[in-house]
Amino acid sequence: MAANFWTSSHYKQLLDPEEVDVVQPLDKDKGMTLEDFKLIKMNMANYIWKLAQNVKVRQRVVATAVTYMRRVYTRKSMSEYDPRLVAPTCLYLAAKAEESTVQARLLVFYIKKLYSDEKYRYEIKDILEMEMKILEALNYYLVVFHPYRSLSQLLQDAGINDTSMIQLSWGLVNDTYKMDLILIHPPHLIALACIYIASVYREKDITAWFEELRVDMNVVKNISMEILDFYESHRLITDERINIAFSKLALKP
Amino acid sequence: MSENDTEKKVADRYLKREVLGEGTYGVVYKAIDTKTGQTVAIKKIRLGKQKEGVNFTALREIKLLKELKDPNIIELIDAFPHKGNLHLVFEFMETDLEAVIRDRNIFLSPADIKSYFQMTLKGLAYCHKKWVLHRDMKPNNLLIASNGQLKLADFGLARIFGSPDRKFTHQVFARWYRAPELLFGTKQYGSGVDVWAAACIFAELLLRRPFLQGTSDIDQLGKIFQAFGTPTPSQWPDLVYLPDYVEYQSVPAQPWRKLFPMATDDALDLLAKMFTYDPKVRISVEQALEHRYFSSAPLPTEPAKLPRPAPKRESVNPRASDFHPLEGPTVLSPPRKARRVMPDREGFDGNAYQVDKIDEHGEIRQAAGNYTGRNEQVPMSIDFSVFGSRPMSRPTINSADRSHLKRKLDLEFQHPE
Repeated sequence: MAANFWTSSHYKQLLDPEEVDVVQPLDKDKGMTLEDFKLIKMNMANYIWKLAQNVKVRQRVVATAVTYMRRVYTRKSMSEYDPRLVAPTCLYLAAKAEESTVQARLLVFYIKKLYSDEKYRYEIKDILEMEMKILEALNYYLVVFHPYRSLSQLLQDAGINDTSMIQLSWGLVNDTYKMDLILIHPPHLIALACIYIASVYREKDITAWFEELRVDMNVVKNISMEILDFYESHRLITDERINIAFSKLALKP
Repeated sequence: MSENDTEKKVADRYLKREVLGEGTYGVVYKAIDTKTGQTVAIKKIRLGKQKEGVNFTALREIKLLKELKDPNIIELIDAFPHKGNLHLVFEFMETDLEAVIRDRNIFLSPADIKSYFQMTLKGLAYCHKKWVLHRDMKPNNLLIASNGQLKLADFGLARIFGSPDRKFTHQVFARWYRAPELLFGTKQYGSGVDVWAAACIFAELLLRRPFLQGTSDIDQLGKIFQAFGTPTPSQWPDLVYLPDYVEYQSVPAQPWRKLFPMATDDALDLLAKMFTYDPKVRISVEQALEHRYFSSAPLPTEPAKLPRPAPKRESVNPRASDFHPLEGPTVLSPPRKARRVMPDREGFDGNAYQVDKIDEHGEIRQAAGNYTGRNEQVPMSIDFSVFGSRPMSRPTINSADRSHLKRKLDLEFQHPE
């Protein structure tokens, strides 16, 4: 699998954090800060997750959709590509790309059910139009690798089979999609960081196993730190804070 | 704004020429790429009438071709939307292997056959290395460029594989190229299905007609058994466990020499290894390329020197032009439509089922869901009850944990400098 990843478009498209943390000029003009930008992306990752719960797709589809959404915003502004349309469209496209198509009308149905706010109101034709624009923004690269497969293999390899460790590391991986890690690091390193945090948290000593792996543990530890930092800042996020970010987006330039 | 860009693109970059034919999902026309001077084929993908956006099969092809760059795989040069339709730009290919096989004016020497077949396997080996199954190998999907290079095309049925337990549909491949495990309904298969199809193509190059022309799935198996004999349990232990397994009357295998009178011993040996019943024992594409057939004399013909049909410019559909129904056996592939079966997605998510049920149960589920304001934080994914804190609205790890963890991590953390 790994051999596959190293020759993939995903690997070639990995970015440096400085490249990911760029607020597009159009959004910047409206006063959007990097923090606003990250908050909206996180909020949209949650939106995708919520929609996915309703239309019942695999976790993998959600992960791919969030990755598409995050990739789009490394190239396009939120002013031109409304996140509230991009998010469901990414789910729609990811479902197709991951071979478990979801009907556009079903998405539209649940969008209406979930949100009474008319800023979220989009119709089938909007999604289909945006699908084409997203394909272009992604430069038609659709294959995405995720930490999940590495995670199961690594856990097995480490001889970890107690449910609480598996659940904890799996949940940590899910949470990493609230951040931009998937655009920056190879998925297996993200998986390792999650196992690492879980092992320290559960006081499972698997240092020997980590040492045997041929990976740069410094990178793994740095990713772990980033994840922990995210949990710290996540505590401070309020609905109000998110509303402020969205209201900036609504400003006329 | 983007509409403007694409207008320019077609006008400025691609000069439209004649229509080449009707592809799987829309018109294909010839064009000149003014940027490179290259002749290209542009597939216009019709958007489905069922309002489902970009065609699913087309999307699959785009997804895979963007990852596959190899001299023996068709190149997807560009893609762009134009007037609401998606257009895919491929390198222009002069002909295909079916036209070569069918053209009675062409003599294929053993070296020519070796060359065409080697290029077929090289393209396939690259796919398998990238964990992609082609699943639609047949001569008219093997396109030939003006420099003689053969390239695999039509990835509309291709899939990424890799998880051994992943279930796939068995409704793939034109019937004549379908491996026996598929005909017995297996949903868990691997690269062996492409190897079987490649062997059928090899046989077709040698015989100059499709090798096993079944008229139904049952008949296809009958044709296979007539040639290679009914598989014995020792040849294929798992056979009896396949979903659609039925017992066939036992027939003996024919001698390989009788099936392929013109083939060399090396060629026969390779055919036998590729036509092995048990997919677990069947040779891989990589191994096939290492077979002594390819290293022994005669060496494969250089691609540029390979015989190809004379170009027929007046014909809109050159593929049909050489076909004379009265001469010899029918060599047309089964109709394309027949194999365009949408994949059986049952094994994945049961979405089809979901869709049907939505109108009846949407309301109920909705009521139970109890959704609140739009900025409600989605709960973190772990079952937080294990942390003893409020389960749903708080993240996995609280700040006390976090500081504690960070300290612990710091202790272990060795700075390189």
